[in-house]
Amino acid sequence: MASTPSKSQILSLFRSLLRTARDFSDYNIREYTKRRTIDGFRHNRHVSDPSSIAAAYSDAESQLQIARRQVIVYSLYVPKLKSVMEIKHA
Amino acid sequence: MAMRAAILRHIRVPVLQTLAPASTASHWQRWIRPMSSHGDDHLQKEEVIERVLSVVKSFPKVDPSQVTPDVHFQKDLGLDSLDNVEIVMALEEEFKLEIPDKEADKIDSCDLAIEYIYNHPMAG
Repeated sequence: MASTPSKSQILSLFRSLLRTARDFSDYNIREYTKRRTIDGFRHNRHVSDPSSIAAAYSDAESQLQIARRQVIVYSLYVPKLKSVMEIKHA
Repeated sequence: MAMRAAILRHIRVPVLQTLAPASTASHWQRWIRPMSSHGDDHLQKEEVIERVLSVVKSFPKVDPSQVTPDVHFQKDLGLDSLDNVEIVMALEEEFKLEIPDKEADKIDSCDLAIEYIYNHPMAG
């Protein structure tokens, strides 16, 4: 396992996950991925042990790979109807 | 991603032109407008300030009454670095921008956000 990731690396990974979340075409998946990312990073906020930080970081990295792959998969099966949450009221 | 978006935007113009010759003019205008360098469709500073402030105020952890144009996210609003990233992402969505990591890391106050967005040619 590589050395402990720096703060800017962690924030950059957080940002990448949020950006990937934004690419989901399905409202529910998009919101879930965003929520899950924020909750996950917040949950590990007080982790101070270097090896735990490194483990959490590599876990998030693999989640990012999965999310990127799923964006592509979901883009092949876009729901025909929009979620009611996406309908803007005039 | 930014690169891909930029390329797609350029490709779309000729495609529309060949497929729909009848409505070429309107398509051209619609696609050229956002790329024009004329000052008339650039955002006004007041508008940028107002929209940045409304994004920051609508952030769940922020007390709207504390938000002013020169407020610092972490020092004045009691936010942390994760919240900071979230706010910058929300601003990206509001102004339809993609701010590179290097720039995004520097934006830690309303002041800097307003300055960056106002000076960004693609902000809309």
